[in-house]
Amino acid sequence: MRARYVIRKLIGAVSTLAFVTVFNFFLFRVVNRNPVESMFRGRNLTREQLADLTRKFNLDGSKWDQFVAYLRQLLRGDLGLSFKGNRPVTEVIGEALWPTVLLVGSSTLLAMIGITIGYRAGWKRGTRQDTVATSLSMLTYSMPEFWIGMVMLGLFAAKLGWFPVGGLEDSGSTATGFAQLLDQFHHMVLPAVVLAVAYVGEYMIVARSAMIETLREDYLQLARAKGMREDEVRRRHAVPNARLPVVSLSAINFGFVFSGAIAVESIFSWPGLGQATFLAVRGPDLPVLQGLFLLMSATVIFANLVADLLYGRLDPRVMGR
Amino acid sequence: MGNASRSRGVAVGVAVVVAVFGLASQPSGSAGASGDEAKVTLTVGLTQDVDSPNVTVGYTVAAYELWNLQYATLTDKAAADYAIEPGLAESWVASDDGLTFTYTLREGLTWSDGEPLTADDVAWTVNTSRDQAWFNHSTVTANLTATAVDDRTVEIVTAVPDPKLPTMDVYILPRHIWEEHADSDITAYEATEGVGSGPFVLDEWTPGQGWTMVANENYWQGKAAIDQIVFQVFTDGAAMVTALENGELDVAHDMPAEQFVSLQGTEGIVTVAGAQGGFTELAMNGMAGGIGDGHPALQDLSVRHAIAMSIDRQQLFDRVALGIGLPLHVLGVSPDQAWLPEIPEADRLDYDPAAANQLLDDNGYLDTDGDGVREMPGGGDPLLFRYAERSEGTQGAPIRELITGWLAEVGIGTEVTVYDDAQLGQIVYDGTYDLFVWGWTPFVDPDVMLSYFTCAQVTYDAAVPGYNDANWCSSEYDALYEEQNQELDRSRRIELVQEMGRIFYRESTYVVLYHDADTQAYRTDRFEGWLQQPTGTGPVVFSNSSPTYFNLRPISSGSDSEGDGEGEGDGASDGDSVSPKSDDGGSSAGLIIGIAAGAVVLALLGWFLLSRRGASRDDRE
Repeated sequence: MRARYVIRKLIGAVSTLAFVTVFNFFLFRVVNRNPVESMFRGRNLTREQLADLTRKFNLDGSKWDQFVAYLRQLLRGDLGLSFKGNRPVTEVIGEALWPTVLLVGSSTLLAMIGITIGYRAGWKRGTRQDTVATSLSMLTYSMPEFWIGMVMLGLFAAKLGWFPVGGLEDSGSTATGFAQLLDQFHHMVLPAVVLAVAYVGEYMIVARSAMIETLREDYLQLARAKGMREDEVRRRHAVPNARLPVVSLSAINFGFVFSGAIAVESIFSWPGLGQATFLAVRGPDLPVLQGLFLLMSATVIFANLVADLLYGRLDPRVMGR
Repeated sequence: MGNASRSRGVAVGVAVVVAVFGLASQPSGSAGASGDEAKVTLTVGLTQDVDSPNVTVGYTVAAYELWNLQYATLTDKAAADYAIEPGLAESWVASDDGLTFTYTLREGLTWSDGEPLTADDVAWTVNTSRDQAWFNHSTVTANLTATAVDDRTVEIVTAVPDPKLPTMDVYILPRHIWEEHADSDITAYEATEGVGSGPFVLDEWTPGQGWTMVANENYWQGKAAIDQIVFQVFTDGAAMVTALENGELDVAHDMPAEQFVSLQGTEGIVTVAGAQGGFTELAMNGMAGGIGDGHPALQDLSVRHAIAMSIDRQQLFDRVALGIGLPLHVLGVSPDQAWLPEIPEADRLDYDPAAANQLLDDNGYLDTDGDGVREMPGGGDPLLFRYAERSEGTQGAPIRELITGWLAEVGIGTEVTVYDDAQLGQIVYDGTYDLFVWGWTPFVDPDVMLSYFTCAQVTYDAAVPGYNDANWCSSEYDALYEEQNQELDRSRRIELVQEMGRIFYRESTYVVLYHDADTQAYRTDRFEGWLQQPTGTGPVVFSNSSPTYFNLRPISSGSDSEGDGEGEGDGASDGDSVSPKSDDGGSSAGLIIGIAAGAVVLALLGWFLLSRRGASRDDRE
């Protein structure tokens, strides 16, 4: 039973990934036949030079030939060449990976405070504590990231000058080791707080409603009847049962860590995957976009798989279904 | 499992918060100086990164700035007016037939790594770039053959008369570095070694974040007064302007127009609208290539003239371009305005909707069915044009709104579709459009821009596209093109080029809406000696040969003169100085607030943690 559940989920994930790979390729080629000419508009290139560039970016030949070449490359772990600067897409993405994991990862962790707040608010449903927490969460949840970002930037970087305006580290900095890490953290404060504020409401609201659903359950009454303290009833019996939706939300959000945060990274010039996506769209740098989409889909699929497997562990009833 | 992992999670959270807020105590902007205290650093903000430091690969404006600083050329261009000046070559002589030029290099030239720079480097660069068709070089070197006569003498022979010579606008590369790469695939070379002959050489490039250049001790004019230049890339233009106002930047390039306008008149900041001949045009499908399905009415000169006269270009310049740039309506062929023609009063197609209506009436384009849109003479298809709007940039939509409104007033209908650049390029090659709005930026020599509108550049087969997106061609224009292309007398050549400009204006497949400008601004508190190229109308940085950087001098910290520091796009005014903005106040406030904010968050988390601890103690009882 258990093995069948795991295998079913694995097959689902792998086939989704295969579909995404194919779809991803054709999606970007529907847009236009050959972006080389418009990229090099006004560069005064001869027709031979343009033809050479077309070949270099694997844009000659039929769609099918291009697709086969793409699959071959992919199997070798090669995502092709960026239209900009002759650089391998894997290198472009690789450079942007760490800044994004650092930023989105830590703000997601910060935002998870919302889970605890949500459980408590749900437990004390209808109290002033709940009203305040819920209203605040609704407020932050409904504020767009880019807007919070602009406001924070204007206030804390422009007006007060406490934090740098953007970038990963001070420009021209030669700091290494701990000093460099400190510098990066200093630059990360504003974007991380913006993201955390934007995410915290979501966690809080989901956790709260999950908690409320468990409130009427008989086993809570039983626990109380046994003479357990309220706090203990909450943590031992209510929280574990309210955990499922929160786990899936967290897993999916960790999948999105690799999507970067396009709006916030762009506002704060944070050189992560979100900024890379923004720049690639502006190009448009199709090979980089294609690589980014593949990475994002793959991580979301993987995170979902992990969530499914965790579900099975947390609630054995799921596996029977 | 629950309790243990929960407290661990909280501990991790606390650690993150401590780290993050602890850092708020660091004064903003100070870390960059640590370890580099003595270095005089100029910080430049821009919105586009270098695509590749390899001069045979890159093509962004940012990359050109890098190369302009890293690689000296045989001849320089004057900051004021692009006039030819000695560069690596101290002198040159031309043969009587104007086909051979002999350049004498300065004595004792060396690369930044100490290797001698000789005629051999020059000859190798010219010949290899021609043979391998390096795309940033081949425009100049395609017809050239260079020979190193001795270490300091190089002879350059051109196969055809070339009015661009003796200007040798070619980045000379160090053969001892590049030769081995040219022997295989030169485009695969990363080119981050930073060996050059210009005033600054590349120190470090961090893709997506920017790059740093350091002064070249071996530069032939001597070491620059600034030690290093940091180019910082911003994805958000507004954030870049904030950094300039904060003093994190000394100069910013390519600012959003609204911010540029609001910065005008700010004390201590000078705004510069740097025109480089770039322009925005409304193009009509002239169908010269014979492919596609452009509206037949657009091949009638009277319709094109009516369209030109229905557009209020001054209003576009004021309302859409916000007055940034130049209200010129002729083809921009060079940042040097000497090449631009005057249009005779009788030929001018100024805004006059009544005359436009009259012209269409006179030529039989009448609205026979009363729907507000005219039909072809004799009551055929309506004058309903497909208008391709470009999605990039911020001006596409407002331009479209105004132009389609004006066209409606003269009885011309439009159907708008929005395209990105790649898509727009495609429909232009396919000829499946009627109108579009796009732009160009020319080189200093007008030849290249003029060549785009010759018959040879028309797209006759969508698979073999040419640059002529006016899709128009004329034998009269082509003949003049060939003539100017070989005319060695500059004033005669200017006459020819101006005549071509007048023809192009009269033919009106392009209605040039206005000439654009780069939006730049610099602070006056730390450096002086900013140069506009060309003087009066050009940009201070990202100009054609980037002379500003070498000319900049730090303002001595002892200076307490309260200069005027104000400027409304009047550009380079040496000696403007204001007392440097104190950023200590902000920093120490930052320190206090940072610690306070950190303490509050810590206290909250601590309370959280303790309340749980208390609870678990109770549980155990």
